[in-house]
Amino acid sequence: MEFNSIFDYTLIYATIRAATPILFAALAAVITQQADIINIGTEGIMLTGAFTAVCISYFTGNWFLALIVSMIAGIIMSMIMAVAHIRYKADICAIGTAINMFALAITKFGIKQFLGTTGSFTDPKIAAIPRINIPLFESNKYLDGLFNNWSLMEVFGIIMVLIMTFMLYRTVWGLRLRSVGRFPMAAETAGINVNKMKYQVMVISGILGGMAGAHLSIGYSQMFTENMTNGRGFMGVAAMFFGSTNPMLAWIGCLLFGFTDSIGGRLQAYGWPSQFVLMMPYIITISVLTVSLWRKAVRDAKIKSSLVAEQS
Amino acid sequence: MKVTNKYVNLLFTIVISMLIGAVIMLILGFNPLEAYFQLFKGAFVGKLNLGTTLQKFVPLLLTAMAFAISSRVGVFNVGVEGELYLGAMAAAWVGFTFVGLPAPIHIVLCFAFAMLVGAVWASIPGALKAQWGVNEVCVTILMNYVATFITSYLVNGPFSAKTGVPQTPAVAAGVKLTQFMKPSQAHTGLFVAVAAVIFIYWLMSSSTIGYKFTSVGLNPFHAQYTGIDPKRTMIGAMLLSGAVGGMAGCIEVLGVYGYFLDNFSSGIAFDGMLAALIVKSDIKTVPFMAFFLAVLKSGALGMERYTGVPKAIVDTIIAIFIIFATMEALLAFNKKRKAKKDVQASSGKQSEQGGLKNGI
Repeated sequence: MEFNSIFDYTLIYATIRAATPILFAALAAVITQQADIINIGTEGIMLTGAFTAVCISYFTGNWFLALIVSMIAGIIMSMIMAVAHIRYKADICAIGTAINMFALAITKFGIKQFLGTTGSFTDPKIAAIPRINIPLFESNKYLDGLFNNWSLMEVFGIIMVLIMTFMLYRTVWGLRLRSVGRFPMAAETAGINVNKMKYQVMVISGILGGMAGAHLSIGYSQMFTENMTNGRGFMGVAAMFFGSTNPMLAWIGCLLFGFTDSIGGRLQAYGWPSQFVLMMPYIITISVLTVSLWRKAVRDAKIKSSLVAEQS
Repeated sequence: MKVTNKYVNLLFTIVISMLIGAVIMLILGFNPLEAYFQLFKGAFVGKLNLGTTLQKFVPLLLTAMAFAISSRVGVFNVGVEGELYLGAMAAAWVGFTFVGLPAPIHIVLCFAFAMLVGAVWASIPGALKAQWGVNEVCVTILMNYVATFITSYLVNGPFSAKTGVPQTPAVAAGVKLTQFMKPSQAHTGLFVAVAAVIFIYWLMSSSTIGYKFTSVGLNPFHAQYTGIDPKRTMIGAMLLSGAVGGMAGCIEVLGVYGYFLDNFSSGIAFDGMLAALIVKSDIKTVPFMAFFLAVLKSGALGMERYTGVPKAIVDTIIAIFIIFATMEALLAFNKKRKAKKDVQASSGKQSEQGGLKNGI
């Protein structure tokens, strides 16, 4: 049965696997969006992270060092954005696009300069982020398929969602951050250093973006290709919009992206056009965005009309 | 005074980024002077080189224009890439379906349909933003993917030429634009594009429509107060922007390829967008910037061939250039001028708030 072989239990892990690189990117976008910075540059940060991770992992053979350095690379990229945007008043969309292009150019250059090839680079010497194997589950086919062989980052991604939710909605810092995003002038009046807050979230965003890239190049696969992020950063931004800057909901958005991605791949194997399935998350996100803003508009109109009624 | 400042700043950023590029080349042990010499030689000297530059210039010019038009009304249209793809597909479809039509009518039909498709596609994010304030950056980015998937499905499925390569059948021989600088691929689409740009410039600078666009872009509340419908204007600008984007796709298909090839663009529209971003969507300077980028892009090949300097360095220079160009406050050396700017900015903010209050 074709249907059964497309929708079976292995799809669950396939979904999580495909969703994780997007998840980190989405979290990187969520944290900046909370401070009202739309981080288009996630794609570029991710790409730089991916390249750095492969480079360090190849030359030192240490995946942990590679992860750390790629986070630092992510921070550097996000700091360029932050300084340009906050200090020199660059338009955030413009600088984000510029960063994406910059990352594409320097990784293209770096792959030739440091790794000595063009196009794509793969080597058995690249140390991968380890996968978690629990021998206890190996005996059971389903448990083995569901819970075994998770990459460390896949687990960490889910933990990160929880941490982020806690940070944003249960700490003073999170409250301040959200107030900066809502109404910076009021936040400033309340004694919050708005620019400092913005720099902080950009650093965090750089760390997460770097992680996303490292996971993509030495966790998800063990290679680097030109433009290997291939829109995953943008998908992260889309997932962020899907979840309306809530990390939990953004995660659900990522899972949706991952789900359709895995289904699309399987459909293609049976000769069905996968494009329509692959298109779905984008259309769903646009619809979700539209519906949420439409409802907001209706609500606002109601509030306004009641105000007018009271006045008259 | 203000105008000249802008151009001086632009030149200054060009010089800075080229200097940074030179420093990178020096560190890597190349001779930057020779590299830049080869870069410009590779872009201008010889029929093939000049032709390639012109061929690359056409889509850059049109996509940059498409972006600049939408930013007139304050819409950041990242979706030109999608419009380009759909326009290209539409032109290819008309081109290979209605074989037998007289060539002039056929060409016009190709352009018209491509522009229509592009315009309709672009009006979706425009309408969503105008109606409910849906973030257009996000919607257009997402719609780019949808557009690529649609064309990818069509070119692999119903419209496939069945040759193993994902491409449509070739368009009728009559509709292919003449390539006038053999062996390069420069084609007569160049003149169409230039004519279109001149028309757009006229439209933006001396027509009522252009005035409406600018007015809405500067302050929608004020525009509404003076009797301009900001929503309709916004959608109108997106329609025009989409039409230009679709035209770019049409010219690419009819001029360069003669068929629709899957993923043929690889980010042309993004380069065009950057050209517009650098000059902050100033319609007058956009063509020059687009040409400059085309020169850099086509000259990079020659530079790599003759000096061994990797092509990616040119991309890096362009990126650095853009990063500097986007920083509005970077070149305000003079403290007085900076202070003045701050005052202006804050008064601008106040007036914006006033507008908000009026709107409410």
